[in-house]
Amino acid sequence: MIAKQKFFEEVPLSISRSKISTEVNKTGSWRFMRPVYDEKTAPCSVGCPAGEDIARIEMLASRKMFREAYETILKENPFPAVCGRVCFHPCENFCNRAAFDQPVAIPHIERFVGDTAIAAEYLVPRTPRVGSFANRKRVAVAGAGPAGLAAAYFLTRLGYVCDVFESENEPGGVLRWGIPAYRLPEDVLKNEINRIVSLGVTIYCKQPVNQDFLEQAKGRYDAVFMGCGYGRSLEMKIPGEAMAHDGLKFLHDTRKGQAACFHGTSAVIGGGNTAIDVARTLIRMGSKPILVYRRRRQDMPAFEHEVEMALKEGVRLKELAAPMRMKANMGDIVLMLQKMKPVESDTGGRAQVVPDGENTMSIKVEQVFTAIGAEPGRNWYVPPKKQDNILNLSHCAFLEDDLPMVFGGDLTNPIKSVTDAIASGKQAAMVLDTFFQRGRDAIEERLAACRVGNGDALSMEIYTEGERKNRNSHVVSFEEINTDYFSRADREIPPLLSPDESAASFSEIEGTFAEDSLEKESQRCFNCGICNDCDNCRLFCGEVAVSSDGGERRVNMDYCKGCGICVVECPRNAMTLEEEKI
Amino acid sequence: MQEIRFHGRGGQGTVVASVVLAKAFFKAGYHVQTFPVFGVERRGAPVEAYLRLDADKKILIRSNVYTPDHVVVQDIKLLQNVDVTKGLKPGGWILLNAPGIPEHPERFSEYRLAVVDAGKIAIGHKLGTRTQPIINTAMIGAFARIMEMPPMEAIAEAIEKEIPVKPRQNILAAKQAYEEVQMIENQG
Amino acid sequence: MREVLEGSHAVSEAVRLAKVQVMSAYPITPQTHIVEALSEFCEDGTMDARFICVESEHSAMAAVVGASTCGVRTFTATSSHGLALMHEMLHWASAARLPIVMAEVNRALGPGWNIWMDQTDSLAQRDTGWIQLYCENGQDVLDTTLQAFRLAEMVNLPVMVVLDAFFLSHTYEDIDVPDQKAVDRFLPPLSPRIQLSTQNPCAIGQMSPPAFYTENRHSIQAAMEQVQGRFENIQEEFEPVFGRKYAPLEAIECEDADVIMVMAGTAASTCREVISDLRSQGEKVGLLKLKMFRPFPTMLIRKILGDTQKVAVVDRNFSFGVSGIFAQEIKAALCNHDNHPPVFGYIAGLGGRDVTPDILKQVYHMTKTASFPKEDGVWIDLNN
Repeated sequence: MIAKQKFFEEVPLSISRSKISTEVNKTGSWRFMRPVYDEKTAPCSVGCPAGEDIARIEMLASRKMFREAYETILKENPFPAVCGRVCFHPCENFCNRAAFDQPVAIPHIERFVGDTAIAAEYLVPRTPRVGSFANRKRVAVAGAGPAGLAAAYFLTRLGYVCDVFESENEPGGVLRWGIPAYRLPEDVLKNEINRIVSLGVTIYCKQPVNQDFLEQAKGRYDAVFMGCGYGRSLEMKIPGEAMAHDGLKFLHDTRKGQAACFHGTSAVIGGGNTAIDVARTLIRMGSKPILVYRRRRQDMPAFEHEVEMALKEGVRLKELAAPMRMKANMGDIVLMLQKMKPVESDTGGRAQVVPDGENTMSIKVEQVFTAIGAEPGRNWYVPPKKQDNILNLSHCAFLEDDLPMVFGGDLTNPIKSVTDAIASGKQAAMVLDTFFQRGRDAIEERLAACRVGNGDALSMEIYTEGERKNRNSHVVSFEEINTDYFSRADREIPPLLSPDESAASFSEIEGTFAEDSLEKESQRCFNCGICNDCDNCRLFCGEVAVSSDGGERRVNMDYCKGCGICVVECPRNAMTLEEEKI
Repeated sequence: MQEIRFHGRGGQGTVVASVVLAKAFFKAGYHVQTFPVFGVERRGAPVEAYLRLDADKKILIRSNVYTPDHVVVQDIKLLQNVDVTKGLKPGGWILLNAPGIPEHPERFSEYRLAVVDAGKIAIGHKLGTRTQPIINTAMIGAFARIMEMPPMEAIAEAIEKEIPVKPRQNILAAKQAYEEVQMIENQG
Repeated sequence: MREVLEGSHAVSEAVRLAKVQVMSAYPITPQTHIVEALSEFCEDGTMDARFICVESEHSAMAAVVGASTCGVRTFTATSSHGLALMHEMLHWASAARLPIVMAEVNRALGPGWNIWMDQTDSLAQRDTGWIQLYCENGQDVLDTTLQAFRLAEMVNLPVMVVLDAFFLSHTYEDIDVPDQKAVDRFLPPLSPRIQLSTQNPCAIGQMSPPAFYTENRHSIQAAMEQVQGRFENIQEEFEPVFGRKYAPLEAIECEDADVIMVMAGTAASTCREVISDLRSQGEKVGLLKLKMFRPFPTMLIRKILGDTQKVAVVDRNFSFGVSGIFAQEIKAALCNHDNHPPVFGYIAGLGGRDVTPDILKQVYHMTKTASFPKEDGVWIDLNN
């Protein structure tokens, strides 16, 4: 029956069908705009004093690429497990996710990566500069605190030989002696310091730096980094002060296991982090501490989170009270306090307080601790003022002399935090390297080129690899995120001891994320400005011009017609549409 | 050709009744055609369906039924607001579902009246609920009796095929109605 | 096997027997029963086919266009507003030369809202390049649907099988449903002339510039010109297997008729009865049943109607500002025929209004007694 069709002529069939593959139509000729893969800076990185590439770290963590995440942190900071615990995380204040639901728990992710690196014994990756710097210059580092260790770490990676001199019997500075164990366990610190030692840094303990040392150093070293910190407590200068214990020394002795055990009520004078640490340490010893502070709670320089934890654990707070004198009374101490009142301040910032007339009171305690601030142990630890050869920078000061010196850490930092100290050590390393290679006049310009986004943080990755390779200076704003691709999710909370449990021992209060929390939390990150291989650019391209070969994306310009859909559909602004250049 | 008009309410299975009858008549060798008067009615609203039967010829006419030979009224209360005798040929059957002979049977004097208590029969076979008995199969059985067609075997077969729920009880209801229907021929 | 079947299910059964591979549809009264049955066939494994659920008729046609372009047998069904929404994609299907078959249940367009029989929906799609075949009873529906696949695949044009709302779609009657073996003998598996392939990638439906467009349209017309012959040829294949055959136009008692009545759909069936009544009364009347409306069998129309005295066209449709659509087409077909008869147009049966034997007799008598049509369309049964 089908054969009958043959009597008919063939039915004409003409349709608009290409005779050959569409590849012949090179739509690239239509293009006047060009999409480029253009990684930008996430705002959290700008907020991080160490300038870590946080968006990339979270992206790698979310894909369980923990070694790569660790190596990315190590480009900017040798202390992920430490900073994941003790950093006051200004990064979170910049997080774009805050405008969507809640900021990403950045320090908890960093801590997970740091702890994973310790557990898995990841090594420090070799960088091209290590050992290759022909003229192996030597740098002496005074102080094995976070600034000094960071300086030694970055200088060593840049090819310098570093010796670190520490007055105490163990390295770590404030990390070892100032921060209580419930915030930073000793083995975590030791592991991260050992990693720096493993690069070839020599740490000489019980070797305080003095003037004689500096004289001798002139022949043996090409430069000195001064990172001795603020070791000497300030005095209140009130009658009976001799009866008070020095808070810093108390913390130090506690960590050495040499502190006496205190019971009964204690007064802790001050409102900074040291005062909080002293009070919380006392709680753990069985004492009942009262914080005495001359301003109000909201004026305290201590981190709010720490204050809140202290109060939850049972620390009491007496605000607007300034010590006048101390008197012994039947084995107790009577502390006379002047009541204070705030006055309006035109300059902003912390409120100024003045005595509230004759209004005074006294409290009876068994011991008093002072923690009203600290200063450098020696006057010459700080850079000389008003000297022509001083170059003051954001996190350090450079003194060009017979023996060039960089002063860093708390000695020069406006914000006295661990991560700012690390930033200072990193800046010092860049300063000295630039000085040795290009001279003093090149320093400022070179450093400016290494800024992360528009902030003060400097990136060693940009310094060594140049050209802002992976992150250009544009800071991604929330409006630039394509939020269609994200859904709301609660921030993950790490395991936490209850205030009762935490106040009973020096055990670490916060735990590290479990792996499922880490996965969920790292996936919350927008990964602002960086590519996470989501493949949208390739999937949306109407010309099938985007290819992905071994993770490397490429736009075939023979066919890209510059429509820009890949740029629009990039959820995280890792692409840019540029004018075609003539 | 004979034309039958069904009056019922939405939800009473009026269309199903006409289809089951059509299939039964087809089994008995008739040409059949049945279709509902389709509207947007819902449960309770008066509905109609038509059934054409022809023992000899293919049915060509495809318009509505205006002058039925017989009518089937599935609910006596329809008499209040529907003129079930409209166009009904004199001498045609009116098959009425009612508990007994309706008042004023003389109004149907031109026609032949048959009454069956299909509601009682349905409830007896647990078909539907007391307020909503499923009476269509009983009506089919009664209709088969007054027409003397189609045979009960054809009806049973059509019910098996068309009514998946309780087919056995439905067949029994049809058979009971077949026995119980009262035919009142000259009530004038 | 003969069985009592609803008109809608006659379509479903034909689609099942045609072994359609991909279907897509959006439900609309009175098309619903067709696709309900088909979706059940897909679900319970009666058919080895995919039923693609979509959010609109436009998408339904787009889905079968896509499937057909991939070289599989496709089917959809719609009605009224659904067909109107499909309009754009109807052009796509025909100009892409895809052998899609669609059942279209004639239903009025709103507002005012009306779900009943009216031909205006399908006739409004006459310029979309679809073959249109109208049906008068359930058997016609089943057979025409089967033949539609054969025809569509022969000429690479889509076919619309048109059936009246309710008078056909919801009417149960006795229909012969053939067995699968018989259908397989008649309808071979699709061997597509157009088929997207990853082995040989190409662009389909791309830009057709002025240098090509005219030739492209001419090619569609050239295929259309073969449809009538192919349809007649299909009957030669169909009749030996099934014992039935159909014609693009069926002339009943036309040879000696003074008045020939012209109509499509179920009204033609009723009119067969009317013709036979009138003939028994000595009236010289004939009936021309329109089955194929696109392509319009112009030469056949001239042959059947050209030399009669009067033509009376019954349109269950209307083109506002002109007249009934079948009447227009008949007039256009006759106007180049020498001494062609006058064409009387009657509008009846819109929006579900019944076309009864009495109305058809009235049309005949009005035509017989008038010498020449005074107006292009006379509205029958109009309540004032």
